[in-house]
Amino acid sequence: MPVIFINGEAVDTGEHPTVLQAALANGFYVPHFCWHPELSVVGNCRVCLVEQEGRGVNIACNMPVVDGMRIETDSETVRAQRKAMLQFILLNHPVDCGICDKAGECTLQDYHYAYNGEPALSREPKLKGTKFYPLSSRILLDNERCILCSRCVRFTREVSKSNVLGIEYRGDSALVRPAEDRTLDDDPYSDNVIDICPVGALLSRSFLHQARVWYLEPTPSVCPRCARGCTVQLWHRKPEWQLKTLDPSHNTRILRVTPLENPRVNGPWICNRGRDLGEVLERPRAEQALQKGAGVTMMEAIEATRALIAESTRRIALVSSWASNEELRAFQNALGDRFTSFVKPDQLPEEGEVVEDELLIRADKNPNTRAAQDLFGSEAPEIREDADLILVWGEGVDFAQLPRGAKIVFLGSWLLPEVGHADVFIPLSIQTERRGHYTNFEGVVSAFEPCQPRPEGVIDAETLFPLLAAPGGARGRA
Amino acid sequence: MTGRKVLTGFEITADSHTLAGYRARGGYEALAKALKTMQPRDVTQEIVDSGIQGRGGAAFPAGRKWQGIDPHDGQPHYLIANADEGEPGTFKDRWVLEHDPHALLESMLLGSYALGVRHAFVYIRGEYDRPWRRLDAAVEEAYAEGLFGENILGSGFSCDLFVFRGAGAYVCGEASSLLGSIEGTRAWPRNRPPRMTVRGLYQAPTVVNNVETIASMAWIIRNGAQAFREIGTEKSPGTRLISISGHIRYPGVYEVELGYSWTKFLHEDCGGLLCNKPLKAVIPGGISSQVMTGMDAKVLTPGEVEGMTLDHEVLRAAGSSLGSGGMIVIAEGTCMVRLLQIMLRFYRHESCGQCTPCREGTGWMHRIIDRIVAGEGRPEDIGTLYHIARFNDGTTICGLGDAAGYAATAMLDNFRDEFDYYIEHGHSKFGGNLECQ
Repeated sequence: MPVIFINGEAVDTGEHPTVLQAALANGFYVPHFCWHPELSVVGNCRVCLVEQEGRGVNIACNMPVVDGMRIETDSETVRAQRKAMLQFILLNHPVDCGICDKAGECTLQDYHYAYNGEPALSREPKLKGTKFYPLSSRILLDNERCILCSRCVRFTREVSKSNVLGIEYRGDSALVRPAEDRTLDDDPYSDNVIDICPVGALLSRSFLHQARVWYLEPTPSVCPRCARGCTVQLWHRKPEWQLKTLDPSHNTRILRVTPLENPRVNGPWICNRGRDLGEVLERPRAEQALQKGAGVTMMEAIEATRALIAESTRRIALVSSWASNEELRAFQNALGDRFTSFVKPDQLPEEGEVVEDELLIRADKNPNTRAAQDLFGSEAPEIREDADLILVWGEGVDFAQLPRGAKIVFLGSWLLPEVGHADVFIPLSIQTERRGHYTNFEGVVSAFEPCQPRPEGVIDAETLFPLLAAPGGARGRA
Repeated sequence: MTGRKVLTGFEITADSHTLAGYRARGGYEALAKALKTMQPRDVTQEIVDSGIQGRGGAAFPAGRKWQGIDPHDGQPHYLIANADEGEPGTFKDRWVLEHDPHALLESMLLGSYALGVRHAFVYIRGEYDRPWRRLDAAVEEAYAEGLFGENILGSGFSCDLFVFRGAGAYVCGEASSLLGSIEGTRAWPRNRPPRMTVRGLYQAPTVVNNVETIASMAWIIRNGAQAFREIGTEKSPGTRLISISGHIRYPGVYEVELGYSWTKFLHEDCGGLLCNKPLKAVIPGGISSQVMTGMDAKVLTPGEVEGMTLDHEVLRAAGSSLGSGGMIVIAEGTCMVRLLQIMLRFYRHESCGQCTPCREGTGWMHRIIDRIVAGEGRPEDIGTLYHIARFNDGTTICGLGDAAGYAATAMLDNFRDEFDYYIEHGHSKFGGNLECQ
């Protein structure tokens, strides 16, 4: 392995082909805008300049590692060059951090404080650019803030392969623009460009002016919308910055979803549907246990279910593929021997959605099918006409298709039309309200954490199943 | 007369640019000789021995560039003649394309043979209409005579030539962005490493040479490297095509033997300055050259021109270069502030927008000089111009940003008093003159 000297320290560069990667991996921070570990090297921001002894200043991102080379990342020359580069970048940048969603997590802001910190040298009026250029129904582009690092362009060429974005015009009139015959709406991964934009040029419409990021905190979670199980971060307000005067749901809402880098599953990307977790997780919740459509207490519902289990002989369970590993195990342990269990898909592909592609999206739109099938087999549900009790766990089942004579116990989380048609309905918590794990289609297990309070009148499935299995209600009454 | 000739030693007649005319003066003999009697590496060796330097601006030894390619390594190779002559003040390749296109084609064949090239390209700027039509006609003639295509002259060597027209971007004259233009991507200069002789057009080893460099090679093979070395000086053998313009009586393209006296060239061959004005400055090799060496053209003052000879070493020692051979003569009484404004407007307009310092810096300098010309200059503007130029130097992928900076510093270094006067008084010391009056 080649050994190089960075600021006088010997560094084993390992597998890293360039000085920038070797330096970053060994704790020497070299600032960079255009370089991204998943994208090709273009070397156009010129901020990662380092000094090589005897060779002068050059960009680290395109400097191949040569055994014995001596690199200075913080010499007098490098500092002066870096400062000048930041002056150039800020020349026509509007510095409108006060109204920019990126403020607080903006690379340019950080670098300015770390490496420049000086007022502008220029006294010329700044060039005007397009503000709020609609790139798609999800993304706005602010050309004044854009520093033309071309990360977004390379993303659509190299990662999502939609080839939508390009750069038009030359020099200081150059603009990022969509190709004439394409639109970013067709790119199911388009929102990743918002994350990789080092400045606030690419803005999410749904997050636009929703919150300052320093009032938010992320909770690690797993996207449940397909079998890939991408790890994500759910951003919501920090407890210490709760709003007192507005609708309390503002304090618990998922304001945005970003990828949680995970080389084994999704790398640094997620698809657009993963960004819209709110549209599935924040549907109106069912918070009231029901018996034939009439409200009952949780204990009454559990009692009724126990009675139904005791009375019936041919019991079938349709197990949710949205249940966590722990819940599946709890069901198996408590009730597995009393039910003939089948795994059913809770969600099917929606119309117009990308069903499957080569990057991340899987055709199975449920997060935990693999773990459920490992426990309960992968045969398609086969419901005998003489079944007398059917336990439906999770959504995706049309009650009209079930045998007329069977009693139905429905365990669900959202306010669906079916809840009133079941003999017993018990509301369950959802993944943002409890801990758990999903196993993706490749067998990789990822954990999710709670970030929202569990509503009153809702029970965790893990707690529920032992209660349902307890004999004759003695413990339940106590 | 400006010394011995390599390229222009024939009389221009109505058909001197045709294949018949070219054959009449010994054309395609070198090709026949090379295909029959020489191995590819012998051709390369001949070019190395001739010591010919690149005529596009960097003056890099062309033979050494060719040696970077192994013709037998089993990969495809490409040879590209760079006829994207966009440098302001440069129009020498145009002469070759219009009057001697077959010299270029024959040399392209020799180069293709030497480098193991199956497909060669000529990248010609879109604005060149007659040169393109002449070149295109010449290619058709050559194809009709079996000089291109399969099994050329029965030697088993095959080569096809494509003429590719540019779309008007100056930066496409930079060799690596030229590749992008041919490939159909955005013409942005590419990072080195890898060098183009390792990974160039379509990721294959590629040699890009200036038209004048390549066109000289047929002469070298025909007459031998030794004959070429006898022309010019020891370190700069051969001749240069100089396209001279500006305040000069007889502007045009001259073939000048390297080492020729500059004063003699200006005052005798080119007839002296317009209106018999004294010389104020000379921009010797195009307002910049698309090179990486940092040897870009600067402004030379009359004292420097006096007694200087025209060759690469002498000019390099003076901190300038023959660059692309586009010489601009400036007479006394010209406003250098306005001249710099025009130069900086050009750089701003042509900056490709890839690297931060050039994209922002060229625009910044142009806005400052615009303001100075409008009479609203501030004393600190000079310092800012120097600052921008300093941090454009060597911090970009190609040389465009550097060249813009050199243009500004050269003007400021030599004519500082004019800039100070303009800023202090709000008007030009010379009435804003650019013409000779």
